Amino acid sequence: MVKRKVAALEKIDADFASLQYKIRRDPKSYKDDFLKQWEQYEAQREIFFMSPTTAAADSVESFHNMIDLIAHVADCYPEETRTFPDDLKAIVSQNHETLHHELRDKVVGSLVLLRRKEVIDSTSLLTTLFPILVSSRSKSMREMLFQKILSDMRNSNSKSTNHPLNRTIQAVLYNLVTADRSSPRAIWAIKLTRELWKRQVWTDAKPVDVMKEACLADNEKVVIGSVRFFLGGDKEREELEDESSDEEIDLAKVKHQITINKKSRKQKQAYKNAVDKVKRQEKKKSKPHPLNFSALHLLHDPQDFAEQLFTKHLQSTKNKLSLDTKLLVLQLITRLVGLHKLTIVPLYSWFIKYLTPKQQSVTSILASLAQGVHNLVPPDALEPLIQKIANEFVSEASASEVAAVGLNAIREICSRQSLAMTETLLQDLVQYRKSKDKGVMMAAKGLLSLYREVGADMLKKRDRGKDATMGISSGLMKQRKFGEEEVGGIEGLDLLAKWKEEQRKRKRAEKGLPEDGSDVSGDEKDKDEDGFNSDEWEVGSEDSSDEGEWINVEHSSDEDEPAPKKRKGDEEDEEDNEEDSAAELERMTKLATTTILTPADLAKLQELRAAASVQKAMGSKFRKNKHQQNPDGPTHADDGLTAENIEAPIRLRKLTKEEKVALAKEGKPDREEHKSTQAIRKSKKDAAGKSTSNREKQRKKNFLMTLGKAKSKQKRSLVETRKVLKGHVERSTRGGRRRNGT
Amino acid sequence: MGSSAKKKAEKKKDFQKPKYKVGKAKPKASNFTDTSFRSKAIVMNQQSLSTVAPDVVQQFKHNLSLASSSRNDKQRRDALAYLTSQLSSHPPVNPVGTNILLSKLLPLISDSSTPVRSQLLKLLRVLPEDEAKHSTEQAIMFIRAGMTHLSADISGDSLGVMEWLLDVAQDELVTIPGGWVKTLSTFCVTMGWSLASAAPGWTSAARTGLRAKDAQTLARQISILSRFLQAGLKSETAAAPGPDEYWDNLYRLPRSSNTFEYLNLLGSRRDEEGEMYPNREARQQVFYRRFFDPVTKGIEKVKKEGGAAGRAAVGLDQALKSGMGDYAAAAGMDAQDLLNLW
Repeated sequence: MVKRKVAALEKIDADFASLQYKIRRDPKSYKDDFLKQWEQYEAQREIFFMSPTTAAADSVESFHNMIDLIAHVADCYPEETRTFPDDLKAIVSQNHETLHHELRDKVVGSLVLLRRKEVIDSTSLLTTLFPILVSSRSKSMREMLFQKILSDMRNSNSKSTNHPLNRTIQAVLYNLVTADRSSPRAIWAIKLTRELWKRQVWTDAKPVDVMKEACLADNEKVVIGSVRFFLGGDKEREELEDESSDEEIDLAKVKHQITINKKSRKQKQAYKNAVDKVKRQEKKKSKPHPLNFSALHLLHDPQDFAEQLFTKHLQSTKNKLSLDTKLLVLQLITRLVGLHKLTIVPLYSWFIKYLTPKQQSVTSILASLAQGVHNLVPPDALEPLIQKIANEFVSEASASEVAAVGLNAIREICSRQSLAMTETLLQDLVQYRKSKDKGVMMAAKGLLSLYREVGADMLKKRDRGKDATMGISSGLMKQRKFGEEEVGGIEGLDLLAKWKEEQRKRKRAEKGLPEDGSDVSGDEKDKDEDGFNSDEWEVGSEDSSDEGEWINVEHSSDEDEPAPKKRKGDEEDEEDNEEDSAAELERMTKLATTTILTPADLAKLQELRAAASVQKAMGSKFRKNKHQQNPDGPTHADDGLTAENIEAPIRLRKLTKEEKVALAKEGKPDREEHKSTQAIRKSKKDAAGKSTSNREKQRKKNFLMTLGKAKSKQKRSLVETRKVLKGHVERSTRGGRRRNGT
Repeated sequence: MGSSAKKKAEKKKDFQKPKYKVGKAKPKASNFTDTSFRSKAIVMNQQSLSTVAPDVVQQFKHNLSLASSSRNDKQRRDALAYLTSQLSSHPPVNPVGTNILLSKLLPLISDSSTPVRSQLLKLLRVLPEDEAKHSTEQAIMFIRAGMTHLSADISGDSLGVMEWLLDVAQDELVTIPGGWVKTLSTFCVTMGWSLASAAPGWTSAARTGLRAKDAQTLARQISILSRFLQAGLKSETAAAPGPDEYWDNLYRLPRSSNTFEYLNLLGSRRDEEGEMYPNREARQQVFYRRFFDPVTKGIEKVKKEGGAAGRAAVGLDQALKSGMGDYAAAAGMDAQDLLNLW
């Protein structure tokens, strides 16, 4: 649409912008002008509808202008423009294929504008735009519509969740996905859901349901999109959240800037905005963390879903999904199986065919297999798989990487279901710890240490190690039976107990009592905490109640202390060391059952847990070999297993150049060019907006400037010298500053 | 502006004074060859030459397309002038037909250049009346758009086109769908006679200080409106029934432009505005219901102002009285009332 040249006079005459401005300022007075323009709009609309496809550029332009004007002033005359939104909707939904693109964009933009002015509601806007988004053939149009829909959804959910709107849109999306399983249109439902999930606009089960249906579509693109959502959607969400919380505003800096620069309204506004933002962030911080369940947890009936996925995409021979897609689907299925402990027995026999070293991306298949195993999988189903992996991968003839991968995979499977291993095979595999290749050796050692923990009696006697041997002989260590569950506890509770013990010892030491009279003490506080019956000792100890006013109401000991423990407390001194520690451990775990943990305790517990995990990550000597398998740090049970874990650990892999460079750069100040450390420090200082110190100024002062002073110093009279010295003393009392005027 | 030194130097050269030397010219070199030549004919290699000029039809079409789509307003005006001369010659030359001609040229009603619009009006005047009749529906649309145009010049000029249409096809104009109500409301809006009865208590103070030009325009608008009302409300006399009428009705092809329009077989559903009002009574009814009050109020106001507009308003008043004098307000139930009962 090339614009025709407009004569100067006409420009003044036909100025829509100024008319719009006037109308918006004073709608009542300009009503006649508006009515005239409304008639004009009606006439233009009629002309346009005479032949929407072949409209001349001129008529399109004038129609475009009219729509623009009316949309901007529609909120001033709601009565007159009643039909306007419906007109626009009709225009865009009937003619969007044939409309001139600028006019089309304008109509859509005007509709959104009307929505912003609250002339129409979100539901009607979205139900107009969404069908066009789905059916339009123009890429730019689709892009724009998607943006508009998304931003409208976000806006209408920004203050509070708009449940009716969400429900409507979710229903529309659900219908879109389920109506025609083979059409690629469902991709838009996926895109929208994914984006809104990422931005935490939608966090409930309904969008997950939409995605679940999309997973079962026939169209490959749709399947990929939805499966990726389940595998990565939550991570995406977390990343976005981290990003948004990163940007911090330094209020002091903004304030300082204001004192320096010229004062203006704009600056004031900027400061106000910054304060607002900081306040909002604070508020957000103090708010309770919203419960965001991962999409995998919000699934309804995961067993059925996983079965359907498996039969539809993997088991059936008819489908034509590519291997990559199949792998994605497989990852999702096994993730579900591992997470929800589902039982899909045919899944394991399906794997058999793929477990050869020549199979493309076999490591990811192995990872999927491992993550699909849990302690309720029948060992019979897994045994042939492990046998096959051992036969195909782990042999003297195979390459060392292959062997390492096989061993790692076996270890990962067995760490989830240890009963799947046979004794002979295990003893065979453990032999590989003597291998010359480091990867194989470490993998075999990993397997060995795993079985020292979970099934030591399957190992040969000399391989068992000290702990396991003692455990077996004392009967403490037993292999768990199928379906047997571990007794649960609170993670880090032993740490808390230990800490409490230390605290008490310290206190006793402060009061001059022997430190190791651990359980029998006269301290009232201890009594209160542990409830030990120690009345007979109280006579001897000096009751130095610092907390004089506080009266401690004693519990009767029978109430909160189980009898056997009391006895143990009394006899503890006589027992030997080993027994002592075992009993200690037991008592610690009982901390939660015997006392009520206060919020302060829980906070401390959290702190200790964090400290312990940091220590573990730092690689101190307390690090247990349990965590050897993932050097990236401990993984959560919800996280899936990736091919990386199965392949040899990262340290053993040959590093790429980038990795090497990154490793070398770690912990060093970043320098773009080769510079001295001093220069880097200085540039950092400059960047932070700090100036030089007085010392620095002194040092840098031009030599010639200092000469004069030095000369005159020698010629000073005694009086002058005295004056200077006095001045110096006086200044030192004022913090080194000179008076005004000197 | 020259960017490089070379360009700057080149530019400077134009303003340097040539140094004239007195005395003889430098003698030519001994081996000098004069390469200048004179010739009586110039031969050009490629040239489209034809002994006949492009024929009239081609030229007409070319000018038509120029008139409707050229970006240069002078070119548009000239093309229109050419078309006018062709149409006014005897016999008139019009290879494309009036209907197509009109559909191409009517958008020029809201053209930005004044000469083009006045030339367009001249062209319309020379069009054969009985052929132009058939494009009434199209024409009234563009006229309405022109009348409500933001630019006062354009809306003034489109009144002229309205006049032309009233001359050519006044009966069609008031009967076609939308021709009666929509045009009336356009008139009311352009004159500022607000249709929606405003909230009681406040009168809108539009059209205070009238400029001379505005007053002229208003007078013209009122006079054209009175013509329009006369056309719409004139008493109809039933044609004397001819002897063949019955058979004609049965066997002869209808000759009007859109015979079964009133059935509205193909179009979208019409509302009150877009409805066609085929007879006088229907027009009276809808006029009485929607426009009578604002128009009478407007007339009163303009009459008080006097001047040319006042005189025109008196004419309008007369037209209104003669047209609506015999209308009884409560003469039977209206179809619209029945619809409104829903």
